Amino acid sequence: MNKTLLGYVPEESPIYDVHPFVRVFFLFVVSLFPMIIAAPEWNALLVVLVIILMRYSRINLATLKFYVPVAVSMGSLILFSYTVFAGNHPEFIELVRFLGIRIYYERIVEATVVYFRIVPMIFITVYFLSSSRERDIIVAMRSVRIPFAITYLVAMALRAAGMVLQDFSIVRQAEKARGFDPAGKSIAYKLRQFVMYIIPLFALALRRADEFSNALVARGYSFTGLLRNPKRADYVLTHYHFRTHDLVIIIVLAVMLVALLVLRYGFGLLTLEGSLTEALLRSILL
Amino acid sequence: MALVHFENYIWKYTQTEVPALKGINLEIEEGTFVGIIGPNGAGKTTLAYSINGLIPNQYYGVRKGHVYVMGKETEDYRPDELTKIVGIVFSDPESQFTAMTVEDEVVFGMENIGLSVDEIQERLEWVVPLTKISPLMDKPPYEVSGGQKARVALASVLAMTPQILVLDEPTSMLDPISRKQVFDVLAQLKQEQHSTIIVIEHSLENLIPLADRMVLLYEGEVALVDDTEPFFEQMDFLLKRDVFPPGAIRFFYELLKGGYYQGELPLTLDEAAARLRTLMESRRR
Repeated sequence: MNKTLLGYVPEESPIYDVHPFVRVFFLFVVSLFPMIIAAPEWNALLVVLVIILMRYSRINLATLKFYVPVAVSMGSLILFSYTVFAGNHPEFIELVRFLGIRIYYERIVEATVVYFRIVPMIFITVYFLSSSRERDIIVAMRSVRIPFAITYLVAMALRAAGMVLQDFSIVRQAEKARGFDPAGKSIAYKLRQFVMYIIPLFALALRRADEFSNALVARGYSFTGLLRNPKRADYVLTHYHFRTHDLVIIIVLAVMLVALLVLRYGFGLLTLEGSLTEALLRSILL
Repeated sequence: MALVHFENYIWKYTQTEVPALKGINLEIEEGTFVGIIGPNGAGKTTLAYSINGLIPNQYYGVRKGHVYVMGKETEDYRPDELTKIVGIVFSDPESQFTAMTVEDEVVFGMENIGLSVDEIQERLEWVVPLTKISPLMDKPPYEVSGGQKARVALASVLAMTPQILVLDEPTSMLDPISRKQVFDVLAQLKQEQHSTIIVIEHSLENLIPLADRMVLLYEGEVALVDDTEPFFEQMDFLLKRDVFPPGAIRFFYELLKGGYYQGELPLTLDEAAARLRTLMESRRR
């Protein structure tokens, strides 16, 4: 199994046949699809497609269950903000009035559209993070000639995030071993005592920054990537080559993006009007 | 000419009242394996950082005297020049990791000093089998075991082929087997490459068999410097300064003191066993 940013993928997964740049391209381009599509059923279909891709890439679908609470709480927040804080709109269809709050049909439809735009984005991101490693992101950036210093800053940030989480876990265990355990205490107490974690974490971060800086100097690194020689070899990139299927995927995704833009803004398709979801909501709520 | 030469060298960190190093005079010849020992706070790491220029470039403090590497003051080198000459392995290997995979980690330094892809490939073919990290190449360096981390850190520096290799307590966090693996690599380097290796180490059992010369740092000063065997003949001096040589050496030193043994102190357990056997047989006769 190879460790990815969010989990593990078997070594024989077909995802490794795809160039890292294509995976990043997929993340950015396919994430735009729900922004173009307004009809929730099409976005729901996109979610299904992403799940099929995850299955094909041999990603453990059980990881998705961690994101169910995220999806539910996000949906609740969206619905809440679109209904309770909907304001006063005499032009909308009022469904119910409760303690002076007016719940409008149009706002519920809007909340549904927004929710079904966000959920596919979450799935696409989970798919990317479950199938890619930090190195893939760096390789993707370097393969399109983004300067080394920038890609290295990204790499350091990715690594620092993991280190902070690791340090946090160590600090928490150390505090616990000395009898400090906020489990079961009130939220206010936990927040107050959070400083007990933050101070050692901050001190550790400073020490790590110091050590990291020494390590970089000792390995001949300068911010420009090379101290004197203007040309820096990129050995890692020699392992990755664009192949025909990578180009095909890029072209297909680009064509799909253009096609969606044309369908939506040229032909007025994929909109909420006349969509199945709208019809369903109308039949239930009105 | 000595490869490394300290001349009346004093270094005091800004935040401390007492200098970390007080008038160091020390010469390290090309091709020698030097062991530096001493209790915590003796100035060993400061000495190591002074050789590769981290001091004074990365630290604030007051510096007096001179540190010459290959006849030139470390301050007069450009940082990249000195990096190519002096490689340093830190005591916490994780703190020196700068990349996402072991392969990237090993390659990083070579890319920085301007090697071509072919040169990098060639050096990888040498250093990866030497340090036995081949199965780790695709893994994140901070997720492998402690011994593997130490070998990755060593490989990353070795790949840059520095003329002087400085290791600052490279096995301080390792179990005995992992320690041995690291010292096996150093032994191979000494035997095949005749490299100049400076090792700061508390694990004397592993260090002594390899060291040509030993240096004792105590309270910021060079308290004793000599070839390894005569160095350990100063047993009382060492013990008074919190250095506890391996049991086999101390045992023979006691025999020597009691007049039961004449000859050189054995530096390894095998040597000690052989000499004890000879001693017992001669007594039996």
